[in-house]
Amino acid sequence: MGASPGRFVRWFDELRAADRPLVGGKCASLGELTAAGLAVPPGFAVTVEAFAAVGAAVGLTGPALPDHPPEVAAALLTAAELPAGLADEVVAAYAELCRLTGRAALDLPVAVRSSAVAEDGAAASFAGQQETWLWTVGPDEVLARLRDCWASLFTPQAVAYRARLPRERVADATRIAVGVQAMVTAEVAGVAFTVSPRTGDRSVVVVNASWGLGQAVVAGEVTPDEFWLSKADLAVTARRIATKARQCRPAPDGRGVVMVDVPAGRQDAPSLDDAQLRAVAELAMAAERHYGGAPQDVEWALGRGPDGASRLYLLQSRPETTWRERLAQVRQSRPANPAASYLALVHAAGARRPASPSADG
Amino acid sequence: MTTTDDRTAAEAPGPDAPGPATAARGFPDPYTIPTPPGAEGWREMYPYYNLFLDSRREKDSRRTWFRDSMHFPEPMPPFDIVTSDSAFMSTGVMNTRVFALPPALGLDVRVLNGYLYMSAIGVEDPDEVARRAQEFAVRVGHYYQNWPTLYQAWERKVRDQIAGLAAIAFPELGELEPVERVLAGRGVTSANDLLVAYQDVLASLDAAWNLHSELLNMGYAAYLNFLMLCRHHFPEITDQAVAKMVSGVEVLLFRPDDELKQLARLALDVGDAVTEPILAGGSPQRLRADLATTAAGREWLSAFDAASEPWFHFSHGNGFYHHHRSWSDDPTFALGMIAEYIGRLRAGEDLSRPLEAVAAERDTVVERYRSLLTTDEDRNAFDEALGLSRVVFPYVENHNFFIEHWYMTVFWNKMRELGELFVRFGFFEKADDLFFLRRAEVFDAVVDLQMAWCSGGEPLGPDHWPPVVARRREIHAALASSAPPPALGPAPDRIVEPMTIMLWGVTEAQVATWLAAQEAGEGGDGGPRVLTGFAGSPGVAEGPARVVLRPGELDSLRDGEILVASITSPSWTPVFARIAGAVSDIGGIMCHAAIVSREYGLPAVVGTGTATATIRTGDIVRVDGDTGTVTIVARADDPAAVS
Repeated sequence: MGASPGRFVRWFDELRAADRPLVGGKCASLGELTAAGLAVPPGFAVTVEAFAAVGAAVGLTGPALPDHPPEVAAALLTAAELPAGLADEVVAAYAELCRLTGRAALDLPVAVRSSAVAEDGAAASFAGQQETWLWTVGPDEVLARLRDCWASLFTPQAVAYRARLPRERVADATRIAVGVQAMVTAEVAGVAFTVSPRTGDRSVVVVNASWGLGQAVVAGEVTPDEFWLSKADLAVTARRIATKARQCRPAPDGRGVVMVDVPAGRQDAPSLDDAQLRAVAELAMAAERHYGGAPQDVEWALGRGPDGASRLYLLQSRPETTWRERLAQVRQSRPANPAASYLALVHAAGARRPASPSADG
Repeated sequence: MTTTDDRTAAEAPGPDAPGPATAARGFPDPYTIPTPPGAEGWREMYPYYNLFLDSRREKDSRRTWFRDSMHFPEPMPPFDIVTSDSAFMSTGVMNTRVFALPPALGLDVRVLNGYLYMSAIGVEDPDEVARRAQEFAVRVGHYYQNWPTLYQAWERKVRDQIAGLAAIAFPELGELEPVERVLAGRGVTSANDLLVAYQDVLASLDAAWNLHSELLNMGYAAYLNFLMLCRHHFPEITDQAVAKMVSGVEVLLFRPDDELKQLARLALDVGDAVTEPILAGGSPQRLRADLATTAAGREWLSAFDAASEPWFHFSHGNGFYHHHRSWSDDPTFALGMIAEYIGRLRAGEDLSRPLEAVAAERDTVVERYRSLLTTDEDRNAFDEALGLSRVVFPYVENHNFFIEHWYMTVFWNKMRELGELFVRFGFFEKADDLFFLRRAEVFDAVVDLQMAWCSGGEPLGPDHWPPVVARRREIHAALASSAPPPALGPAPDRIVEPMTIMLWGVTEAQVATWLAAQEAGEGGDGGPRVLTGFAGSPGVAEGPARVVLRPGELDSLRDGEILVASITSPSWTPVFARIAGAVSDIGGIMCHAAIVSREYGLPAVVGTGTATATIRTGDIVRVDGDTGTVTIVARADDPAAVS
């Protein structure tokens, strides 16, 4: 996609997991998934080098960053003169993204998100590294949201959080990259888990889906439809259709997003049919396969992409790491099966059986 | 006043009155259930050992009784109790005495208002469980290790049993004993033959049911072992997924239907001389006569007769009742289906079941689950449990044809031969009247007939039985229109008996559902609109309901309807090609409605407990086989349902 790697910008399709220290976990993952051939909307990362350069220019350096009061640091970043080359590189990349997606003008709506370097997702969240600006349009807006992402490292809660971190983890919590990615005009969007959030069962996929952009689901602003599928045969084992009264849509002026009412006739209608549902599950399973079978938590969207074609997109994939504990808890919390000792006898009696070809019958 | 045996609605304490066992949340006390109007005297129809005796109130009120509507959905005609006797004795003796199942023995059985209730007998003493466990390991181990050989031997034993039953002959009882017997110096007479023949038929039934249960409980145990292992690793795995991994691809229950399809193909091959009379409909007798006039027709008829033996000894019901006739007794249904298959073949439809695809999908599902296991130890245990299940499961799937269908068809017809003999001597108007006598009463009638034939005098039966039979038919009809509760007595804390869970689908969750339904019903809002059961087969379908309580009502079923039944029988398999979905009152994941629906790709919800009582024919219902719920979308009498 992008021609030569610049100092401050890396295209998704040139990134791999190993690039995490440079572009943060989110962008590195989008690079991996793009390389795996999954339908990820195109985009680029603004590297941690960019933040380091800006920080140096305004005097925000060093691993601890605590010398300025938060509001001062944030104001400094918002107003900072960008170092030579940085703004040019970002604007050029944005222009290239517009060109690649067939835009005549520099008006491609993009999502601008922070991409944390820290491995610990909770830490990243507390450290204010989970900012997302949707439907950002034009080079100036992109640069402004870029600064906002950087400034989010200096919210009071981020600073307070860093102050409590052990010293060896502070460094990662003070680096930040930013992803710039073409928007999908989602008709339906949501999340999918390739492991049961309830029991840690790895044989199921759980899909949450609601009308409009996925933001509403991710932020918990609507109760989404919920579907459970078995990975083995993609059979739908449970579905709960929610009343989806509100949805997140691109703003009428094309900038930003707004929450609007869902038309009455669609509120109680399932947001996915079975074929679409299976496609979402398969997409999530493909991401899981790409990560060696490690359970994933993915964001997806079904709708019109930057090229105008309607399809299913993978927006993000994160590892789900707590399933082992949950499975152990579930096993422990279950009442002892009164027939367990008897079934152990059955198993023992059966296991002594000579191997027989009819076992396949 | 009524007799002490019968509690009329007026006299019986209402559901609100505190009985001995209503302190905790529970089901009605069996001693407080009123006799349905018109059924006074029903207790005379059943043996004392099946009744809730007043003298045992203290003991029997304290236990939980589940209605076995899976096997006995209709009230029992008096003679037909022999099947419940045999079935419960056999499953009991295998658990209790033969294989020494450690945690549970057999089931006690009671009849209330004609309906069958059962209660599991557990083993509480840990020492006894341990002792039984040792015996169990030896006995069951032997069966599992030698399963293929034992299964082959089993089939031989059953075929012998059927041949033996068919060969039992009731004597002619003519004016004189045949002269050759006299000249041969036989001594023993036809009167004795009558007694022996009746005893032999009953003994054969008893033996056949021992065979029925010989392998069955072990088959279920192996399945349950695999199910529990799967649930350990995959807490959210569905019963359908487990069943899919274990199920055989070639299941005998589909064989009769496959034979019909084959006969349809043959008819098309042979040509119009055969297809036209079949498509014209008409009585089976007429069709047979028509076909016999041409060589092609005779060729097809001989193929039909070859398929009939044994494949059309396939009950319209479940084989547990004398009036569940088989395809071979009345070929109307089979011929109608052949006509339908001819039409569909002509329309270019491929009727064959995609066996290779089914097998391939099964392997994929197994591989996907297996690939999620992380250690060699887990994979070995999975392979062992699955391997055992697959070895034993063909028996679970196939025994039903041999016993419930083939054997029982021959059995009921053998009893009809005795009925005909009684008709000849004026005891009954028709042979089937016999089934309104208890087995012990039939013994009395046999002795009555023996004595009269021996003495040359008149039997007393003709002056005794006709009014009794007439009254019992009325009682039976009154019982049939009553709605028995799904369970009686206190709600159980735990359910341990594996058969209860596997076969009857009675789980702790099911009990909670029944209780909830009972409480909703007491609210008096006309019954619940959403029923919950087991997700028997995935998918969602909506359509008009057709409530089928008796096999004879199947004829009224139309294409695209939702079949609502107490229980479906394997012989109903062909109608699954016409319905949009299936709902049953009772049944677990391995009940026939679930198996067949999965095979046909139809949504099914089984084990709802109350579907036939709640849903009416013509109601628009939605069957959600993914979640196990059935929703009444519109009532038949609701104008909204018409649009």
